[in-house]
Order: sequence, then structure tokens, then C-alpha cells
Amino acid sequence: MLEATKSCIKTAFLSTLPCLLLFIFLFSFITPCASRDRPARETTIVFKHGKIAGDQRAFRAIIEEFERRNPGIRVRDEVLPSSTDEQHQFYVINLEGRSSDFDVISMDVIWVQEFARAGWLRRLDHVFPPRERELFFRGPVDAVTFEGGVYAVPWYIDAGLLYYRKDLLERYGFSPPDTWAELVRIAKEITARETGLYGFVWQGKQYEGLVCNAMEYMWSNGGGLMADGRLDALREENVRALAFMHDLIHEYRVSPELVTTATEETTRHIFGNGRALFMRNWPYAWNIFEREGSAVKGKVGVKALPSFGGGPGASTLGGWQLGVSRYSKHPAEAERFVRFLTSYSVQKELALTVGYKPTRKALYLDPELRKAQPFIAGLRRVFETARPRPLTPFYMMITQVLQPELSSVISGLKTPEEALRSIQRHAGRILEAGEPGRGR
Amino acid sequence: MVTGSQKGIRSVLFWAGLVAAVAYCLGPFVWQFITSLKPAAELTMLPPVLPTRPVLENYRSVFAARPFLRIILNSLVVASGTTFFSLAIGSLAAFALARLPLRGRHIFLAFVLSVSMFPPIATVSPLYIVIRFLGLRDTLTALVITYTTFSLPLTIWILTNFFREVPREIYLAALLDGCTPFQIFYRIFLPLAAPGLSATAILVFIFSWNEFLFALTFTSTAASRTIPVAIALFPGVHEVPWGEIAAASVVVTVPVVVLVFVFQRRIVEGLTMGAMKG
Amino acid sequence: MNHRGARSGYLFVLPAAAVLAFVTIYPLCHVFWLSLHRRLLIFDIHRFVAIDNYRFLLTDDRFLRSLWNTVYFTATSVTLELAIGLGLALLLNRTFRYRGAVRAAILIPWAIPTVVSARMWEWMYNTDFGILNHLLGVKVNWLGSPFWAMNAAVFMDVWKTTPFVALLLTAGLQVIPRELYQAASIDGAGPWLVFRRITLPLLRPMILVVLLFRTIDAFRVFDAVYVLTGGGPANTTETLSVYAYKVLFQTLQFGYGSTISMVVFACVAAISVFYVRLFRRS
Repeated sequence: MLEATKSCIKTAFLSTLPCLLLFIFLFSFITPCASRDRPARETTIVFKHGKIAGDQRAFRAIIEEFERRNPGIRVRDEVLPSSTDEQHQFYVINLEGRSSDFDVISMDVIWVQEFARAGWLRRLDHVFPPRERELFFRGPVDAVTFEGGVYAVPWYIDAGLLYYRKDLLERYGFSPPDTWAELVRIAKEITARETGLYGFVWQGKQYEGLVCNAMEYMWSNGGGLMADGRLDALREENVRALAFMHDLIHEYRVSPELVTTATEETTRHIFGNGRALFMRNWPYAWNIFEREGSAVKGKVGVKALPSFGGGPGASTLGGWQLGVSRYSKHPAEAERFVRFLTSYSVQKELALTVGYKPTRKALYLDPELRKAQPFIAGLRRVFETARPRPLTPFYMMITQVLQPELSSVISGLKTPEEALRSIQRHAGRILEAGEPGRGR
Repeated sequence: MVTGSQKGIRSVLFWAGLVAAVAYCLGPFVWQFITSLKPAAELTMLPPVLPTRPVLENYRSVFAARPFLRIILNSLVVASGTTFFSLAIGSLAAFALARLPLRGRHIFLAFVLSVSMFPPIATVSPLYIVIRFLGLRDTLTALVITYTTFSLPLTIWILTNFFREVPREIYLAALLDGCTPFQIFYRIFLPLAAPGLSATAILVFIFSWNEFLFALTFTSTAASRTIPVAIALFPGVHEVPWGEIAAASVVVTVPVVVLVFVFQRRIVEGLTMGAMKG
Repeated sequence: MNHRGARSGYLFVLPAAAVLAFVTIYPLCHVFWLSLHRRLLIFDIHRFVAIDNYRFLLTDDRFLRSLWNTVYFTATSVTLELAIGLGLALLLNRTFRYRGAVRAAILIPWAIPTVVSARMWEWMYNTDFGILNHLLGVKVNWLGSPFWAMNAAVFMDVWKTTPFVALLLTAGLQVIPRELYQAASIDGAGPWLVFRRITLPLLRPMILVVLLFRTIDAFRVFDAVYVLTGGGPANTTETLSVYAYKVLFQTLQFGYGSTISMVVFACVAAISVFYVRLFRRS
């Protein structure tokens, strides 16, 4: 019976297959053409961005507000994969191929230099004139400026913060730590007495987040990668900082091993379920912790990251900027959209609903915003002093060298000296490609 | 001499071995299927192994929020196109290599064999530059051309062997009747080698359905993305949407499973033919 | 007639030859040419540097690491595949009732996209919610631990490609004349002796074929590793193809990436030549 059915299927399949194959193949050439003939009554601009972590309806409402104020312009927003590396690859491949499929793009702070150098962005000096730039934080403005021209407008800002369980610290009579040594000491004492609690969670997976974390340790120890515009990675301060990261996991044991595969969301889940004492993360997490039903609602404190010597800590600058593709067919409308999204009222709306921290300094004094999110006043200082990763068009290539080297340090495969030496070699070679002599 | 009890033990061992083998091969799929039926909340709880209330929401969201159907269609188009062109070009060449007097036949066959050993990574960068130059980036055509090339060696190899099996007398008789070589090829050899053609067709189809490296490099939007790339680059709000990935995997695996079950004899024929005469 | 046949012959072979040459010979030359340059695609940087890239390659510790990873991956997975595949082939050698269905079931891992398989195994290897840790009662960080990650990738690849090996070996087993087995059993030879003296030697040509295909395939592995681990953690699973791909499409150094690709090509060519020599001798 089975055999008969099988041979029936087989014959039917094999006889119609060739015709079907050819038909499908030829059909494929028709469909793309069909979708392109759409009557243009109004201009549609395409806005590409990563997934909105917060309230998506609120974001849609903002877009609809723009469409209301600008009849004749429609905005189609398209979401990219949530991994920033994939978003970057998408942009590189499409802008390389001069695609006009999108107009406004949302860029990570570390991409703008590269995109500007490659000639993919329209200059936005007229959209973002010097007196406007005064109203924004310095860090992002520097990041969007390349060789004197402005190529993007800062949209929202991010910086690394230390989250802590203030209820647990109070219970054991500790105040939030100002130095890394204090943090280790507090974590050890409290985790010894509490069960099911990790000491300190952070992002250690081999990706960009790891670089953000590592830079914070290196900077807060007086080190860093660049010195006087040249690459200088093999410094004692850096060695000490990276060794500390490794020791957090393997020596002091305040960070669990899973940190080596953790991203922002992993640590956010752990801390949000009440299973960690300290966490390093971006500001977005706070909104989620204060939602109804959160296990740590009302128990979370936020402050600037500790340092090694008791001086000010360091925070990596993050955030996203809006740019207009040079191959856009509707640059005027696109620029109008960018101006809208970065205006005072929209940035405030986004801060209140979606949780994006504004790039306009004045908003941190806004009474309505301060009432809704009291801790935002304290963030202003952090954002003002947040430090950018090396501002060079070659950064995206250099980070491909940084990520595995840093990962091998925290997993104990390489010593900090070996890793930093390797970084100096490989990153130096990359920098040399563009400006011979720069890297060595 | 094998005693009765020895035979009994052997039989038990044999069947146990079979069960273990099938479990080893199909186990992961079963688990993936179970996962695809779990609601999002239960994905991160283990036990329970089985979902308390199986849901179809993963399948729904796989098809709703993304252009998944379009992606499946892309894969289908590319695989069909590749199969068609590969068979067309390959069978012609195979016939010539098998029957027609051709100098340098061995060299060509050796060349064909060496192409099948090319590491794809070695050719992807210049091909990318060429495709970009021709403006074929993010199109299905680029994939069809590339896949056809890389499945030609297999096609030529298998079909040459099948054509060689056709008795020489038939060829000579047709020649005497005054047929042109193309007529002999089209009217006589192709029908006779039908099993070989179908075996090759299935292998080529499976190869291009599964190919990843070139699809990843040459495509960037859903317009031309194929299934393997879509599964690798699954977007998600939180970390990784395991439930949806499981659902997508199941959807993509089912046609392959059906194909394999119906055509398993052909597939085996094709693979072993390719290997044995090699 | 011969003359006419010859002309048609060249004509028939022409399309195949053209396609093959265009998509393989031309790119190969171009890759070699690229490997002699510093080429950063997006910044339009294009400089001829002769063998500078190769010189850097020899001192590139990441390259040496990926070479080692590739060799380890190839050696372990091929050995395991051969062993398990042989076992499966011996099982399938008998005729029994559901043989076709079992053969189909065993074929399925081979037939699905490697990417789907990688995602499946990634889920099974998950530290907290993976079925593997659950069944074994441990909390191993399979894909995050530098030691386990490579072996996890190897095991997944073995799972996926053993059917292919088993199939080919089954075909090889079926060629062995039954009379030999019958004679052996009459002589009172035990199963192990039969296996060593009769099965293995007669299976040798097929084993060599399998080894050839699988060694080359394992050496140029990309899909499995790229999707399962991305080359991490800390590049401990980064094979040559993955490294070349990252250099090409993440750092966009088309010159240096081509250099690595040339090395992969050279190694694969060397392996093929080695096996062909082995064939000739047997």
C-alpha cells in the first residue's frame, strides 16, 4: 500500500516537476517588476532602524504626528535585525551597492566616522548648525563630525552605568562603591550571606559590548587605546585593568562564568529577576526595572561607574544618530524628518514613553521629565563626561581585532600583555592602510 | 556455528542498535518540534520537558511579522532554476564526455572534479566584486549562476556515468539511422537516463536549498534572501526568539523530510554512483 | 561521422566549460591578484604590496590559531564520522523489513540545511534551557567555554554528515561478495576476524573515497561554525574559512582576506593530491 502511494506521488511529482520548475523560475522575473510600479501621489521616505526596545505604539504615534504636520510625506519605518553587527553589515553592503531603498538611517555612534569617510552620508551642516550643536552633548557631536563636516544628528544617548540593589546595600550597612576594590569587597561580603545571588554581572560576550566594558576599566585606570592620535595599547594601566576584569571572574569570583557569554539583555534579565547585586549596563534597563510587575521595582539604584584610584570613573559613550543616505531620492523630506525626530518636544516624548535618553542638555532640567524620571538629573553629569571609543573611520575594523583579544583575556586564554601586543600589531596594521605610518 | 541464544542476543543488539541510530538521527528534530509548540514563557523553564499547553503562536508569528513566505519562495525559485540549468548544461556535457569522440576528455573530467573541491571561500571575494559590478547584488540571478556552477561537477560526474551505461549499440544504431548527435542525445539518451536525471535533480535541489555562504554574501534584503540566511539572521526583540526559530526550522525541514522519504532510493543511487565511479 | 561527432562534442561541452571557467578559474586568478594588494573596498584604498600580505600571514597568530583549529576540527570529525558511519553501515547491511524507512530517517540530518542544524544544536547546547544539560544533569557552558565549544561544533558536524558516510560505506559493503562471508563462517571465523580480514580490506577503496570527500569538506567548513559559535569564544572555534570571511566582510580588507583564501585553496589542493596519490598506489 505504502509502495503504491509512494510510486503515485513519485510519478505525479516527476512528470509535473520540469514544467513547474521552469514556470516558477520565469515567474520570479515578473514579480519584482510588478512591485515597483506604484503611483506616486505622495513622497514616501523609508526610515531604517533597530528594534525599539520600549513602547512601540508610542513610537508609531510620534511618526504619525510627523505625517500629520507634513501632509504629502509618508514615513515607512523598517526594522533591522537586533544585533548591531548585523545592522552594520546591512548598511555596509547596501550603501556600498548604492541602494536607494532607504532614506533615513539610525546609526550607532561608532559608525558615523566610517560612513562619512566612505562618502555614504549627506552633509547635514544646514540641518544641524553650530548654534544648535551647542545645545547638545559634546561627545555625540564630536562623533558625528568628520573632517569639519557634520554627517548626522545625535538622536539619543547612552553611557555605561552601575546598577545596584540599594535595599541589599542598606540591609548590610554599605554605601554604593566609589572604587572597584570597594565593589569587590561589598560583593563578596553580601553574596556570602545571601543565597542565589551573583555579585557583579556585566557584558563579556565576544561582541561590541565587551569592548565598551573593557574601555571603561582601562580609562578609569588612566589608560586607553589612543594617545595623541596614535595607537598605544600596550600600557601598564591597560594591563592592570584587563587583569582586573579577568580576576573578577576567576580570582575574586564575584562575577559568574556566564558573564563571558552575556549580552545586555542577559544581564538585564538576571538583575531584573533579583539574582544579582551589581550590574553594569546602559540606562534603558532602569525603565524596565521600574515597570509594574518587576521583581526589583523600587529596589534599584543607579550611579556612575567606580574607578581604580578613587577619582572619577569612566563611562563609554553610546547612543544613536540619524543620518540621510547620499543615495536617497528624497533628501529634503528626509532632512525634515531628521529635524523633527531630534527636536526638543520629540526627544522629550521619546524619553517619557520609550525611555531614550535625550541628546539635548536642556531636557535634563525639564520639570516634567524630572518628575517622571527623578534619576535623570544625575545622568546629565555622566553623559557629559562619557568618553567615545576611538574616533576613526577604521574603528569598525579595529573592533574586530579588539573583540576576540579581549574575550581571550577574560576567559584566561591569553595574558593581558599578549592580547594588548596582538591588538597593537593588528590594529596598527589596519590604521596603516589608510594613513601609512600612523599605525606603527 | 551460531547457537540459538547467540542469535537471539545478536538480534536484540541489532534492533537496539537500529533504535539508537534512528533516535540519534531524529532526536534533535523531535526536540525542535516540541520546542516550537511551547509558549514563550515556558521556553525558559526546563522541566517541564513537554509543553503544558501546546500553542501555535510561534508558527503564527513566524509567518505574520516577517516576509517568510517570500523567503520560502525565493529558495524555491533559486533551487528550481539551479536544477534546471544545471541539468540542461550538465547533461549536454555529460553526453559529449560519455559518447562523443572528444580529445582531452580525461583532462576535462579531472578539471570538473577539481572544481568540486574548490573551497567556496576562495572564490567569494572576486565573485562579490563581479556581482557588484554587474549590479546583480541582492538578486536571485546571482545565486542561480553561482549555484549552477558549483553543482555542475556533481551533475556531470553522475550523468557521465549513467550515459556510459547506455549500451554502445544503441548509439551506433542511431548513428546509422542518420540522427544528429543532438537528436541522439535528446530523443534517446535523456529518456534512458531518466533515473540518473532525477537522482541528480534531487541532489542539486537539496544542495542549492541548503547553501549558505554565497546566499549570505550576495543578498541583503528579504527580496532575495533564502531560507538558510533567514534562519541564521532571525531578528528578535529580546535575546534570541527560540520558539520562533524552532517553528521556522520545522517549517523548512518538513518539505525536505518528505522529499527524502519519497526519493530516498534515488538519492542513495546518485550519491553512491558519484562516489563509486570516482 | 567522427569529425562531425567531435565538433558537436566540443559544442556540447562548451556551455559547461564556459560557466565553470568563468565562475572558478577567473575568480581564482582574481583572488591571487587581490592577495597581492592592500584593498579596502569601501574606502577605495588600492595599493600593490606584492608578498607583504603573505609575510604578515606567517606571523599572524590569529591565522596560525585558525589553522590549528581547522586541522583539529578536520581530524576529529573525520575520524568520528568514519567510526560511527561504519557502525551504521554494518547495521544497514542486512535486509530487514523497514530498511527503506530507516535509511530515509538516517538521511534526514544530511538533507537539511547546515544552518537549521546549527540553530537546533545551539538550542540544545544552551546552558540554562538546553535539553542536553537537562538530560545529563550538568550545567556545562558548551558554547561559551573555550574547551567545550570546539568539540560541540565537531559533534554537531559529525551528526550532520555521518549519514553521507554511512550511505557510501553501505554501498561499498554491498559490493563484497556474499560467498566470502559464507566461506568464513564455514571456517568458523568469529565476527571480529571476519571484519578485520575480509570487510575492511575490501572496503578500503570506498573508505578512501569517503576520506577524500570528508577531509576536504571538513577542512573548508564554514556554515556550521559560523552559525553555531560565530568563531568564538575568543576565536577558539574560528576555522580558516570563518577567519577569511570575517576579514573580507567585516573588516573589508579584501587584500588580506584573499591571502587567507589562497592558503585555504592551497591546502585543499594539497589534500586532494595526497589522496589521489594514495588511490593510485592502492
